Amino acid sequence: MRSEMTFKRLGEIVDAYGASPARWPEAERPAAEALLAVSAEARALVEEAGRFDALLDMAPAGVPSAALAGRLMAARPRPAAPSGRPVAPRRRATGILGALLETVWPYGSPAFPAGALAAALVLGLALGSTSNISLLQPETSVAAASGDQTGEGLIALAMADQAWPEEWMQ
Amino acid sequence: MADRRLEILRGAGFGRRSRLDEAGMFPMPAHARGNIRLEQPSDDELVAAVASGDEAACRALMDRHLTRILVLARRMLGNQADAEEVAQEVFLRVWTHADRWEPGQARFGTWLHRVATNLCLDRLRKNRPTDDIDEMPDLASGDPGPHRQLEQRELAARVDAALQALPERQRAAIVLSHYQGLGNLETADILGVTVEAVESLLSRARRQLRLSLATEKDDLLRSDKVSAS
Repeated sequence: MRSEMTFKRLGEIVDAYGASPARWPEAERPAAEALLAVSAEARALVEEAGRFDALLDMAPAGVPSAALAGRLMAARPRPAAPSGRPVAPRRRATGILGALLETVWPYGSPAFPAGALAAALVLGLALGSTSNISLLQPETSVAAASGDQTGEGLIALAMADQAWPEEWMQ
Repeated sequence: MADRRLEILRGAGFGRRSRLDEAGMFPMPAHARGNIRLEQPSDDELVAAVASGDEAACRALMDRHLTRILVLARRMLGNQADAEEVAQEVFLRVWTHADRWEPGQARFGTWLHRVATNLCLDRLRKNRPTDDIDEMPDLASGDPGPHRQLEQRELAARVDAALQALPERQRAAIVLSHYQGLGNLETADILGVTVEAVESLLSRARRQLRLSLATEKDDLLRSDKVSAS
């Protein structure tokens, strides 16, 4: 910390921080102001810097637009949402069947998985009865039916029936 | 903790109006209403209330700081649109990080200035300025004349152009010190340099501005003398 202020040092301070003592380094301010009080030369230096400060203060400042304030208020944090309706306690299953069901399906009512299973079964039966699904294609069936075909022939026939993408073969 | 601060805020008059006041039965002038508040909430208290989603606290924090941050960005970037984008980004960060703000660790105002300054410096680095002293707007006329308001605008534009022509860190130093009125320790903290480095940046900035604005300084002096006579 400087205990005394020289004219040279005051010049450096004014060159950097301008004329207002409020902007000067706090530790040196009292000594600088003491020098100002006794030195006309120091006062002239600060007055000249004050005129330059006035010119700098002409730089445009701007004010926030209403749209900016509106956008910020729209994006502000919101209070935490109140917790939803209280969840009703689950009814405990009763009896041996209930206990068994709860062991198999502990996630609530077993009606949903049971219903889904039944629906899948019905759909499968319906599809099976209405569609002509055969494991073997007609040519393959013919080939399989002829007893004089060798095993190699069957394999060749099966391979010929498959379409291999060209890029797999490269 | 935040709830307690929120209560302090509400006790200070934030976030609610009295029923009498709402009903218009007890109209009071603004200055009289202001006297009822015992103490303005601190920035830390406001930030804690913001984290709780308190609308009045958000508005109070914006009222207190938004203009200062916008002005900082305006003088750093030289145009209103970019300044608004930076100010918006600064406050969106406040909204996002309010719940993580630790009171006492740093001054909220200093933190705001640091975030705004860094965002401005990032923008300036991405869009290196093409401004040059030679490209500064010309004064329409050297005559003082009757159009003093026009002259003032022209002078303002010249000062702005000179400011924008400064190297980024010199500009940041003079904006923080001269225009925002921050002390040398706070400016050094925000820029991440020593106080000696801040003084050096400021000296170089003002020297450059003096050179750039020598004509304008004479014009200003001349118009002051004319208006005084």
